[in-house]
Formats: sequence, C-alpha cells, structure tokens
Amino acid sequence: MAQVVLKDLVKTYGTVYAVNNVSLTVNDGEFVALVGPSGCGKTTTLNLVAGLIPITSGDIVIGERVVNDLDPKDRDIAMVFQNYALYPNKSVFKNLAFPLEMRRLPKAEIEQKVMAAAKVLDMTHLLQRKPRELSGGQQQRVALGRALVRDPAVFLMDEPLSNLDAKLRVQMRSEIKRFHQDLKATIIYVTHDQLEAVTMADKMAVMNGGYLQQYDSPAEVFANPANMFVASFVGSPAMSLIPLEAATNDGNVVLHSSEGWNLPLSAANARKANNAKSKKIVLGARHSTIKLHKSAAPGAVPAKVYTVEPTGDVTFVQAFLSGSVVNISLPPSVPVSSDEQVWLEFDQDRIHLFDGETEMALHAS
Amino acid sequence: MGTVPGQAIFTDVPVVPPKRVGLMRKVYRSRADYLYVLPAIVVMLIVIAYPVYYTIELSFFKTPASLQLKDKVFIGLDNYAYLLQLPAFWKVTVQTLIWTVSSTLFAFVLGLGCALALHREFVGRGILRALLLIPWVVSAVAASYVWKWLYHSDFGAIGALAVQLGLTSEPINFVDNVQTALPSLIVVNIWKEFSFAMIMLMAGLQTVPDQLLRAAQVDGANAWQRFWHVTFPHLSGVSMVTVLLLTVQNFNSFIIPFIMTGGGPVGSTHIWITHIYEFAFQRQQWGRGSAYAVLLFLIMVLLGYFYVRALTRGDSSRAGS
Repeated sequence: MAQVVLKDLVKTYGTVYAVNNVSLTVNDGEFVALVGPSGCGKTTTLNLVAGLIPITSGDIVIGERVVNDLDPKDRDIAMVFQNYALYPNKSVFKNLAFPLEMRRLPKAEIEQKVMAAAKVLDMTHLLQRKPRELSGGQQQRVALGRALVRDPAVFLMDEPLSNLDAKLRVQMRSEIKRFHQDLKATIIYVTHDQLEAVTMADKMAVMNGGYLQQYDSPAEVFANPANMFVASFVGSPAMSLIPLEAATNDGNVVLHSSEGWNLPLSAANARKANNAKSKKIVLGARHSTIKLHKSAAPGAVPAKVYTVEPTGDVTFVQAFLSGSVVNISLPPSVPVSSDEQVWLEFDQDRIHLFDGETEMALHAS
Repeated sequence: MGTVPGQAIFTDVPVVPPKRVGLMRKVYRSRADYLYVLPAIVVMLIVIAYPVYYTIELSFFKTPASLQLKDKVFIGLDNYAYLLQLPAFWKVTVQTLIWTVSSTLFAFVLGLGCALALHREFVGRGILRALLLIPWVVSAVAASYVWKWLYHSDFGAIGALAVQLGLTSEPINFVDNVQTALPSLIVVNIWKEFSFAMIMLMAGLQTVPDQLLRAAQVDGANAWQRFWHVTFPHLSGVSMVTVLLLTVQNFNSFIIPFIMTGGGPVGSTHIWITHIYEFAFQRQQWGRGSAYAVLLFLIMVLLGYFYVRALTRGDSSRAGS
C-alpha cells in the first residue's frame, strides 16, 4: 500500500478546465471519496491518477514515485469500473487471472492468487461461470477480485455501486468498507452519491466545476462546510440556505429579511457576520437544528408550510422562509399541514453563516 | 427443507391448467398479421418458389436439343449421377472452394485491418474511408472490364509497371495462363468486396465498450493484447455474419469470372455458377444445368441456415432473462 499525492493537478480540454489545481494527499491505507455532481471533474481526476488520460500540468506521486508519464500498468494501481468491465468471453477465473497473465506470472502462482482472492470475496463457487451468468452484485465482486489479485499500491474505484439496485448497493457498500478495513488498502473512490462518501470514506474530497471545494473527514465536512456548495451538497435533505441582509437593531447585529422580520445573532455569530465582504449574508441550517413552533415565540421567525412528507419515523416539512425553502424534520406526532403559518427557531450554536458574495463560510476570527 | 409458515394456505388451491388454444384459433387471432405479409408472400411464390420448383423438376429430365422443352424425357437421378462422376465437375468444385475460401478469408482480413486503421482519429480519415469504399460501390461489370485491361498481357498497366520497375523482363500473362488465372481473379474479387467487411467491422468496432479497453489497459494489456482479448471477441458476432455473407456471395459469384475469362483458359477459372451457366445456356443441357443448380441450392440453404442462426444467436437467451 502507498500514499498518493496530487500536486496542483490540472487537466484542460481546449479552454475548459476539467480539473483545476487540485492538490490533495491520500495517506497510506486511507479511504478517500471524490464526490461531487456530474461533470465536477471527479472521474477525470481518477483517470488522471490511473494514467488513462494524460495530465496537463501538476504532479501525481504514488508511493515515492512521480508517475506523471508512466503507463497505467506501471503505476501499481488497480481499478474498478462502474459497469464492472468484466471480459464477457472469459470465465470468472480467467477474468481474475487476466492481470496476472499480462504480468507473465507463473501458472501456479496465478492459480494460487486467484483462489486466494476468490476466497476473500466468497466466490470460489463462481469461478467457472461467465460474467453474464452472474448477478450485478456478483459481477461487482468479481471486478473487486480482479483488482485485489494484483495486490496494488492503490485501488481506484469509479462509481462501483451506481449500477446496482438500491438494496444491493447498501449491502455492497458495507462489503467494500469491510474490504478496506481488512486489507488496510489505500482507496480512491469516486461517487456522485454523498451518502456513499459519508458512510464509507475516511476523508471526502468534495469537487465542483473542476475545483476541490473541501477535503476533510465526512464529520468535519458535514459539521463545517467550507462554502455554500459543500453545505448544499453534503447531507440529506440538504442544508437550507436563506439569503438575508446584515443590519443593526438597537446596537445588536441582526439578519434582516425582506419580509420585514429580524433574526438577532449571538455574539459569536455577530462577529462572523461582521467579517463578510458586504451586507449580504446567507443563513444555513440543517433540518434537525431548526425548531418549529405553531405560535409566535421569542427569537422565532415566521414561515409558511409548503409540503409535509411523513417517512415513518421522521416527518420532513418544507416551509417558505423569506422566499427560500427550508427543510425541517419533526417527530411524526407533531400535526402540521400545508399552508399553515409556523414560526422557526434557529439554534445559534449550530447555524452556519456564509458570505453572500464569495459564498464562503464565515468565521468568527 | 423446513416448511415456511403461511405457505400451507396456497398448497390446497387446485391447479387449474390453462385452457389450450387451438392452432386455428391462434392463426385466426393474428389474421391481420398474415394479411400484412400476404403481398410479399405472393410475390415470393411467383418469382422464387416457382423457379425453384421448376429447376428441381427439370433436374430429373433430359432435354435433347432436337426436342421442344415440353417434350422433355424423365430420367430420374441420371443427371446427378452424370455430374458426380464427371471429372470436370470435381475440378470446378475444387476451384470453387479455392475461390470462395481465399476470397472470403483475405477480404475479411483486409477489411479488418482497414477497419482498425480507420477506427483511430487521424487527419484525412474521412477521405480515406470514402476512397476505400469505392470498390464496393463500383459496378462489378465495369470493375471486371477495368481489371481485364489492367491485367492484359500486351497492353496491361500492371505488366508494364512490372517491366519498368525491372521486376520481370516481359509483361506477366495474368489471365491467359492456367496457373495464374484463378489467383488473378481472386485478387480482383478481394479488391471488390473487402470494403464490405470493412464497413461491417467498423460498425462493430464502435460498439466495443470503452471501459473494457481501459480495464485491460490498467490490467497491463498492450495494444495487441487489448485487441486480442477485448476487441476481437467483441467482434465475433459481426465477424461471423460478415464471413457467412461473404461466403454466400462468393459461392454465387458470376460477374467477375464470366466477364474476365468466361471460365477459361481451359476451364481453369470456372466456378460452379459459371459452369452451370455453360451447361444450361451454352450447351443447352437444361436438365444437367438444373441438377447442378439444385446442388448449389442445397449448399446455399445450409449456409443460409447458419447465417440465420448467427443473426439470431442470443435472441433466446435475451428472451429468457
């Protein structure tokens, strides 16, 4: 296993920056998820690390070696693809043996390694089958096996669960997590599903528009999103973002809504608001941190319920506040109905403030 | 196996066999479908089925040149017996096999090479593709005449070029020589039909999944290994169809040998079709020609069977999943 370092990585297609100055370090044995919406550059980044496409500038270091100009086969990586990419005319055994045959390993060694990998992934009984005779989950396991037999320095996984149905995806998610823990493997995992990233990865690299937005542990990314994009991308339902304006009321800093109400800020939050470039402040709050009142309460601001979505153990309420949609979660016992007037109270310690112009998170210092 | 609670409820329900639907009823239900294909069937019966039937019938008769066709004489399988013990028949059969196998093989290999070359991006690819398609779109008759002149022993461009380059001291006698006539015609045939294989395989190449090639690249396969382990297996279906279509076409070839040599010299470029033509329309031996044609028909039916099977391969497995 090995460390992977990306230094100022750039990939351009004509004038378009697919990957823009991405720098990050994947430590030895770490599971890192590259996550972001379609077209954010995450798969391109992975293909750059794999060597399937040439980099425009920057450096890729795997272990101790700069691998910028090396062929994929010389980079000591293995890759798992979204469509499994199994060789359809070869049996499972032959699929697993293929990377070893390409390396001209002796036959006995190939067989021993294939059997070992098959045992780890519990598919010794499938070895003689052709890929088309396997279920999606089994095919994905074979794909994992083909990566595993190589004993590579780094595993690269490109949305390996996207083609599976929802139930199987959850199952394979834990299998891959277990795979990582047992092997202490260095894994770079691309997904557009933030839930996969949050549940599996040691660290997540959130990308958008070719830029790395934030690179930290899932808990940290969830708790302290660096900017509005990360805030709205990570978490389900997404963090509610309400554009407001900073103002002073009786010497206190408040957030003023065009609907007329003011939301007073705590001292710490007031300092944050004062650090903004302009008066435009975006208030961010996660659904579980917002309290819903059925009547006016001190510090609560008026909102109107739009939809109510009971899911069984939690009821999600969407309400309009100052022209923005706010997600709130409630116990199912609270009766709420559409178009009802409600009051929302924000937890001053758990709200997020963003600069309305730079979209970056505001800090107190 | 243990019993599953709740399952017992279902075991007592009597199994009612589905009502069997009679054949006539099934036909009646799809009567509109039959109606739609009726015009095509009628036309096929007239222009295909009747000639086939008449050829088979004629193959059992002797048609002496002194008699009218309606006064033909029934001789059973004599025509077949005559052909099968005729040395010329076996000689032509060998020539037909050489013609078919080598034309098909080389046209396919050449087509595959061109398809692979044209599959990559490079400047002038479109123009080259268009140029390579010319043999396929040129009329076979025109091409045969052009090649006849190219090969000509006195005025041929190829012979002249060979002399000028100092390869030979005098022009090569391509088509008037028993040894070289058939290979020369095969070259023309390959030139004429490799574009077809090229088109088919180019279409096939576009369906090779990119991820599979990338996976092979990561697995350490070089360009040749990627072709051998990924691309070529993926092309097996289209290759099968292409080879079968070429085989059928080559077995049925007529224009190139007929125009360029007429089967000569000394029958050295005869293949079945030109031989049949000679029996029927030059010697007026309709019965023998028909018997010959029936043999060809049987082989065509066999090839047709394999063709349909290759085309529908995987249909049942698709339907089953």
